[in-house]
Amino acid sequence: MSVETTTETAPVPKKGMNILFGLTLLGLLLFLWLLLGLSTTSFWTSNNISNLLRQGSMTAILAVGQTFVIITAGIDLSVGAVVGFSSVTVAWLLQQGVPLWPAMGITLLVGVAIGAFHAFGIVRMGLPAFIITLATLTSLRGIGLLVTNGSTISISNEAFTNFSRADFLGIPSLFWMVIAVAIPAYIFLHLSRWGRYLFAVGSNSEAARLSGVNVNRTIYLAYILSSTCAAFVGLLLASRIGIGNATQAEGWELQAIASSVIGGTSLFGAVGSVHGPLLGAFILATINNGANLLNVNAFVQRIITGVLIIVIVYFDQLRRRGSR
Amino acid sequence: MTGLYDVSHRHDDGATTIAKHPVPKGQPILEMRGLQKKYGAVEALKPANITFLSGEIHAIVGENGAGKSTLIKLLTGVIRRTSGEVFWCGDAVQLATPNEAISRGINAVHQEVVLCRHLSVAANMFLGDEINKNGLMRKRAMTDAAQAVLNDLGFNLPAAALLSDLTIGQQQLVATARAAMRGTQFLIFDEPTAYLTRQESAQLFRLIRRLQAEGVTIVYISHRMEEVFELADRVSVLRDGTHIGTRKIAETNDAELIAMMINRTIEQIYHKETLPIGATIVETRGLSGPGFTDVSLSVRAGEIVGLYGLIGAGRSEFALGLYGRQPLSAGEVHWQGNKVRIRNERDAMDLGIALAPESRRDQGLCLNLPIGLNINLPVFDRLSRGLTINRGREIENADRQIKDLKIKTPTRRVLASAMSGGNQQKIVIGKWLSHGAKLFIFDEPTVGVDVGTKAEIYRLFARLLEQGAGIILISSYLPEVYELSDRLHVFRQGKLVASHTYRSASHEEVLTQAIGV
Repeated sequence: MSVETTTETAPVPKKGMNILFGLTLLGLLLFLWLLLGLSTTSFWTSNNISNLLRQGSMTAILAVGQTFVIITAGIDLSVGAVVGFSSVTVAWLLQQGVPLWPAMGITLLVGVAIGAFHAFGIVRMGLPAFIITLATLTSLRGIGLLVTNGSTISISNEAFTNFSRADFLGIPSLFWMVIAVAIPAYIFLHLSRWGRYLFAVGSNSEAARLSGVNVNRTIYLAYILSSTCAAFVGLLLASRIGIGNATQAEGWELQAIASSVIGGTSLFGAVGSVHGPLLGAFILATINNGANLLNVNAFVQRIITGVLIIVIVYFDQLRRRGSR
Repeated sequence: MTGLYDVSHRHDDGATTIAKHPVPKGQPILEMRGLQKKYGAVEALKPANITFLSGEIHAIVGENGAGKSTLIKLLTGVIRRTSGEVFWCGDAVQLATPNEAISRGINAVHQEVVLCRHLSVAANMFLGDEINKNGLMRKRAMTDAAQAVLNDLGFNLPAAALLSDLTIGQQQLVATARAAMRGTQFLIFDEPTAYLTRQESAQLFRLIRRLQAEGVTIVYISHRMEEVFELADRVSVLRDGTHIGTRKIAETNDAELIAMMINRTIEQIYHKETLPIGATIVETRGLSGPGFTDVSLSVRAGEIVGLYGLIGAGRSEFALGLYGRQPLSAGEVHWQGNKVRIRNERDAMDLGIALAPESRRDQGLCLNLPIGLNINLPVFDRLSRGLTINRGREIENADRQIKDLKIKTPTRRVLASAMSGGNQQKIVIGKWLSHGAKLFIFDEPTVGVDVGTKAEIYRLFARLLEQGAGIILISSYLPEVYELSDRLHVFRQGKLVASHTYRSASHEEVLTQAIGV
């Protein structure tokens, strides 16, 4: 006899809470900026702000892709390796004389293929997401090192390398790329039926299946989007540093997961947004940037990031428990 | 008077050595006075007075959902009572935690084995009570001690083997041996033979008799009448959370027990008006799949086809097979006269089949998502135009179902988990009303649902039938399927064993067919 407990009076208009949480994060970000503006002279310089936006942009795009996966109650540990691998792919293609646009297109398609492979492992082979993406993390680094023979491939294409240094309307082009990803991501996650399916699969995949949701296709979609975002970031990184190197973007998967979680995504699935991870990524970038300006030891920065994740997620837990 | 084997060595821990008063055989050892359990408004166990006598085998029988599991959970400290008292050896006790129950000598062997599959048999038998020396476990000593116990009990089981290498039946024997060697005075068996072979059952019965001879009190819960008559000294009957009565086994018979298990006061069962029966909607011919074999039945427009049986009899499995969730291994499905193949849930939905599944929690709802999203889940493709969802139609559709079904919520944005059982069931139903279907399969639609909502659900059935739909109603609650079904099919062990038209068989006959006395 399965009888549920009656808690009839728990009206939690979820939307209001989400906006409130978003505003809290935005407040935290602005507070950090104000604090750094007051305590350093160099924070509010256009040079530093551009730098900050560039730093945060790549994590932000990774975090958005990661969020799709986490909403389905999965995880994608491979994104950092995909970034490095994509930088090698595009550099190698350019070196072989492939024109710029096809080279970038092929790199993105490699991202699609990696994501499809992850989903194949999860759906068809029944592997846990953690394992299959961990396996590709190490394999992709290996393949990248093998192709480059452990060294780097430099990129001589001026148009490509100039892109990341360029500004448009006074804002770094890398930040424009965040906007270019975030708007379709927002439409996808919050306004389209596929977004709803991601949440449903993350909440209860059996109920989603019995309601006619194609669960397997939804999982394919999530992992392909995550890997494609990562491949896109790989292009941006290659443009920024002017080389293809398989060991780049070490640990970025953790940055992406941290940004997503700070932005309110639940690792248990079915809770998340697009704006949350964006704010999370820029909060992390600000802390790193501020720590640099304040001459805080780079090792200490890592500790600060860790503590911050615990504090923010703990407060989020309290909030959720309170609303139950 | 401890159990068979006193290998317990927890005397260093003062809290666990509660003085045990020996109770002479035949005197009350555990007495329930007005013991009651409520979940919200639902009374899972109505105030019950049952006395267990020292050294007896006391059987408890009742239909699914009669309150047997609730009773076990209360006595083993898994859940806490709402009111009432329990006296153990004459003293009032709380039984607030599993540890308290175990330390007093109350233990249970569950139908589903709750042991660690990846540990050895010996490690499981000593789990939580390991033999230690200088802070290190003495694995060999434990294996030897466990093997001695197993041999002595006549179980041909290796103590060093992994639990997961044993059959479910053998695991059950391990669980029993574990309880036997822990100084248990009061041992509850919850349908222990459900997964056992005949030979394993015989071993288990020998053990039970032996424990009884040692003075252990046994509570034996079972569906199987022949076991009850073979083993028990006394038997108590539960029905709908009420203790109907207790009989000495020598003074009763199956007919009386079955009569006690059946609800005679058929309250609040709403019987539909007789509607004209239309054309056949679906017909299965010799359908087989995981958990059911060779099921042939049909559903016509305007009728309710009831499927009755015990849990695990194959009713829900048949429903999932018909709905495309499980692959079919044999047989044909004819939909409105045409042979069809249903490969997945979408195929079923597109034909016009809707399924409100057995478990709202595991299969029916996305609990941590809003009510509105749950209701709209099957129809998002219809609510979308191009890439995006039409927000206005999404809101309108959700609000209409909430209003029509009188789901008690201030807004569609409340999470489904915040709702009571009845309202959750309405959300599941609302999902399928917004999608629309020709054949509705309702699997246990009124479990954990309050009386008022039950009546609403029955009225809804009538409305669907009027619109020309057909209904398959699966229920473990006999009065419900009995009164509502135009045709009633009885399932037992994966097979359709009997079919009746409305009221053509008595409750006794139907229940007897389901149990297979």
